[in-house]
Amino acid sequence: MRAPSAGDTALGEVLLAVEDVSLSFGGVRALTGVSFDIRKGEIRAIIGPNGAGKTSMLNVVNGFYQPQSGRITFKGEVRKAMRPYAAARGGIARTFQNLALFRGMTTLDNILAGRALKMRRGFFWQLIRHGPALAEEVEHRRRVEEIIDFLEIAAIRKIPVGRLPYGLQKRVELGRALAMEPDLLLLDEPMAGMNLEEKEDMSRFIIDVNQQYGTTIALIEHDMGVVMDLSDRVVVLDYGRKIADAAPDNVKKDENVIRAYLGQPHGVSV
Amino acid sequence: MQPIDGSLDTLPKLLMHNARVIGARPAMRHKDLGIWNTWTWAQMLEEVRAFSIGLAELGMKRGDKFTIIGSNRPRLYWAMCAGQALGAVPVPVYADAVADEMAFVLAHAEVTLAVVEDQEQVDKVIAVSEQLPRLGKLIYDETRGLKDYDHGRLISFADVQAIGRKKLAGDAECLARWEAGVADGRADDLSVILYTSGTTGRSKGVMLTHRNTIVSARNANIFDRLDQNEEVIAYLPLAWVGDYIFSFVQAYVAGYCVNCPEAPDTVVQDRREIGTTYAFAPPRVYENVLTLTMVRMADAGAVKRKAFDFFISVARRWGEKILDGEKVPLGGRLLYAVGRLFVYGPIMNQFGLSRIRVAYTAGEAIGPEIFRFWRAMGMNLKQLYGQTEASVYVTAQPDGEIFADTVGKPSPDVEIKISDKGEVLFRSPGVFTGYYKDAEKTAEVLTSDGWVHTGDAGFFDTKSGQLKIIDRAKDVGRLNDGTVFAPKYIENKLKFYPNIREAVAIGADRDFVSVMINIDQTAVGSWAERNNVTYASYQELAAHPRVYEMIASHVDEVNRSLSEEEMVAGAQIKRFLILHKELDPDDGELTRTQKLRRGHIIDRYGPLVEAFYDGSATAQISTQVTFEDGHKGVIAARVAIRDVKIYPVSTAHMVRAA
Amino acid sequence: MHLLYQIFVDPFVQMGAAPDLFAQTLWDGLVAGVLYALIALGFVLIFKASGVFNFAQGIMVVFAALTLVGLHEHGVPAFLALGLTIVVMFVLAFGVERLMLRPLVNQSDVILFMATFGLTYILIGFGQLLFGGDPKVMIANELYLPSGEMRFKGLGGFVSFQKIDIAAVIIASLMVAVLAVFFQRTRIGRALRAVADSHQAALSVGISLEQIWVIVWFAAGVVALTTGIMWGARSEVSFSLQIIALKALPVLILGGLTSIPGAIVGGLIIGIGEKLGEFYWGPLLGGGIETWFAYVIALGFLVFRPQGLFGEKIIERI
Repeated sequence: MRAPSAGDTALGEVLLAVEDVSLSFGGVRALTGVSFDIRKGEIRAIIGPNGAGKTSMLNVVNGFYQPQSGRITFKGEVRKAMRPYAAARGGIARTFQNLALFRGMTTLDNILAGRALKMRRGFFWQLIRHGPALAEEVEHRRRVEEIIDFLEIAAIRKIPVGRLPYGLQKRVELGRALAMEPDLLLLDEPMAGMNLEEKEDMSRFIIDVNQQYGTTIALIEHDMGVVMDLSDRVVVLDYGRKIADAAPDNVKKDENVIRAYLGQPHGVSV
Repeated sequence: MQPIDGSLDTLPKLLMHNARVIGARPAMRHKDLGIWNTWTWAQMLEEVRAFSIGLAELGMKRGDKFTIIGSNRPRLYWAMCAGQALGAVPVPVYADAVADEMAFVLAHAEVTLAVVEDQEQVDKVIAVSEQLPRLGKLIYDETRGLKDYDHGRLISFADVQAIGRKKLAGDAECLARWEAGVADGRADDLSVILYTSGTTGRSKGVMLTHRNTIVSARNANIFDRLDQNEEVIAYLPLAWVGDYIFSFVQAYVAGYCVNCPEAPDTVVQDRREIGTTYAFAPPRVYENVLTLTMVRMADAGAVKRKAFDFFISVARRWGEKILDGEKVPLGGRLLYAVGRLFVYGPIMNQFGLSRIRVAYTAGEAIGPEIFRFWRAMGMNLKQLYGQTEASVYVTAQPDGEIFADTVGKPSPDVEIKISDKGEVLFRSPGVFTGYYKDAEKTAEVLTSDGWVHTGDAGFFDTKSGQLKIIDRAKDVGRLNDGTVFAPKYIENKLKFYPNIREAVAIGADRDFVSVMINIDQTAVGSWAERNNVTYASYQELAAHPRVYEMIASHVDEVNRSLSEEEMVAGAQIKRFLILHKELDPDDGELTRTQKLRRGHIIDRYGPLVEAFYDGSATAQISTQVTFEDGHKGVIAARVAIRDVKIYPVSTAHMVRAA
Repeated sequence: MHLLYQIFVDPFVQMGAAPDLFAQTLWDGLVAGVLYALIALGFVLIFKASGVFNFAQGIMVVFAALTLVGLHEHGVPAFLALGLTIVVMFVLAFGVERLMLRPLVNQSDVILFMATFGLTYILIGFGQLLFGGDPKVMIANELYLPSGEMRFKGLGGFVSFQKIDIAAVIIASLMVAVLAVFFQRTRIGRALRAVADSHQAALSVGISLEQIWVIVWFAAGVVALTTGIMWGARSEVSFSLQIIALKALPVLILGGLTSIPGAIVGGLIIGIGEKLGEFYWGPLLGGGIETWFAYVIALGFLVFRPQGLFGEKIIERI
């Protein structure tokens, strides 16, 4: 596994920075003045107890939510809020905690859908499948096949994803995100609900993506072991505020973090 | 026996011959990135030659041993032939072998070079490389993940070929030298060393010469009339003699095309795309496919299921007769034709068996029901009996002489005799030259006049004239009262129920027979779903009282059938339990070819065995298990033991050993 | 007993006795069915992509036909008018996305459904304002649509085909074929299927929902225009045409809300079913059953296949 030193990647330039972001729904505050950055090439973990605002944070980054205040700098461009389309176009791909797949479509079509933004040829050419559009289609298909090979899902290429077991669906979802050739990959609990073996596989894929394609990754994860193994730096949220931001080893020792995880019962009372 | 042609007596010579004679025909295909890539014999010769010369440049010499580790990929097969062209000997190793198994084989064979599939195998070899002082270069096929490795030692397959091609281009005499080297190869040179996983002890390296394998392959091709039009899928382990003969030697001799699947789990789809004509599979594969079909039909609508059942009964009644060319009334033929259109055809197609001409099963006894089912579907499924030491073929069933409980007549050029103790011995041109660096073991098995002890007990069936195998000779034991106890016989009877995946019978030198059972998760899981039995894990399912009831009824039926056979009626099952975990090669409970390692299992589950014979109704067991990544963990469970009814012996006279 | 005879035997005897009449009825049913299918198709397109049950689909048919005829009345040449009407349908789609869907995004389905009621009344008001409320005649000749009939002898009599009906069937089939290719083969088609499956996932891969909505509303508009021309040519162009949208309802029940093949097959079944019902069983009830018979067929289906003919089977696991 990875050497847990924060030093090597701290040198990378900032890919994305959120500054002083606050988000609320009605009267409920989801995020309060959160700032952190993600540097090129690193694996950044976002952790925190349930209801700490981790998924909200990802939703802000890829434009699903528009924060009330704060600003987001992505690839040097400063803006008040992201828009989903702009985020995708700018190279931010993501997966979802509860899976968001095109269930009626095959694995192949799902991953091809990830290339929606890369397809440029007009309608007409696509209709007759000729000329430049054919060449383009072949190229996209090749890229998708590489991802299929990479994720070892050749056997399910033609199966509608709705019929696949959960662990494989997660893998297809990752494949779709990879098909976007993202600069920043957001993974919302990529290992939720997996058994040990599936977790090991997924960890391996995440590391391979990071190392082979140099993709910057931000991930939310509950399994502390996984976080410590995978990530270069960890930001810890609690009640929508940032309480720590350091290398995994230091986070483990941080008093605020220990209190947040072991302290008083958490989350919204029902 | 026909003499072997001196110009075609090694695999590299055959390759050159095929490239010359049928150069434009497909020799190999591999599905990669969703596309089938094809190499003709001429192209394959070029690939093999480039790699071979590259190997020579890296210092490979005549007599060197080199290992091949990975799944069925063209480049790994090419590597074997490329080494053989230099007079080196390939030693393929099971790709899923755990580290110390692998270390033992590689050290024992003194391999000097390794050709492996990918990062996973590179890691394994590096992990044990301290025990392998002679090991030099490590050649890999798949580059993924190997960017940051030490490239002083590692080199990619393509780079080795590049070295070879550069040499060929730059040195005018290189080609002639290489071809002269091939011509220097002799029929009695070693072709391969295959380490058998063995049910006991360390594996032994079976040395087979080119003569052994080529004669054996040639006889087999003639026996089943295999020619250059066959298509086979290579999916069985490279280190297993079956794959070596079916996917390599027989292909070179006949000139047929070998197809490598995209991934181990795409074999069925790939087979469907290729349309295999000749296939080999252990009984388990036929069994799994049948179970899958049955499970699917059980979930289908009522009309569909009725139609299916009807046509299956038609097939059972007429199918085998039609296949064997017997007389069948017109009505039967018509119904069977309709069935083929709507039921048998689609089923065969589903599993890519539409074009199959000859299919073999071997390695273990196949359930008569399963065997007959596939034959009734119209598949020419036959049995053979083979051994690594025989270059596979000892006996095989000729077309039209098929029985579920025999393994066939002696293959061409094979002599067979049965010893006084009932052990099967054979002598043939395929007989190995000995175990590598193990004269002692060789002497135990191979007699000075060329007979091989198979270690299997068997006899020739008087009715069919075919060989029947009962069990391993050393496994046939006796109960305390002297009754003959053939554990495998009982286990096989149990395993013929789809719900039972494995069974371990215990009884030698005991008062009665007990059985540990492994349920089949697919079959029992589907049964549970249909019967509203809820469970959260395999362990919970295995311990479910209703599952116990179901298995008890199977055991009861087995007892009744045992009671009707005089040889074994005295050894009926008295107690059984269902194991809480699946038996697994990673825990040493099965061999890599999925055979039971009975002795090891009895040791491992000692407390359960004890509980059988002290009368306990339950027993506590905790076992160490190895996960796929090598991590170890412990599984603990309380397992229930059930008693079963023993039937009175229904035959008049029971045979008792004196 | 006599009643049973009249229901289960007599109609079939009649069918056999006068095969020419039977063929004629089948043909009439088929033509009606094709047009029902087109309307249902408009519903399905919009429902798949945006989850909105578009109550205004019926009025869109009228609005499109009115615009076409109205423009021609104002002196615009027929084919230019057709082109302009297509532009108008695009503007309508664009307007609906900007002014209705976008502000209401993430609102509940009922609110969106109500909004389409509003759209209905806006289109009625707008149409009357511009083109008046009087029935108009479709400019079929000017668009080179054939008229008159063709008679075929045989089956013990003759069967007559209105040429406009033949044209309707051909044009509708072409339209469906083009749509099918569009959905299966193009990037936008794939994007559309993606949106139909999961909005969230579609957004995350950079598919623009706004763009897709404009496209499907536009496609539904073009389908409406086609329906309007065909139907208008067979009768007349008036606001009463919008009630044929009600015929689409049983078609949707039959075919499922999300299935394009379902809309087509459903349309044909309803069309043929109601014509046969009217002709052979109608007299038993004094005639006029055509208006409600479709619902009876649909209800029958609802009992056995609540998800429709081709709809996804929805199993709620508890």
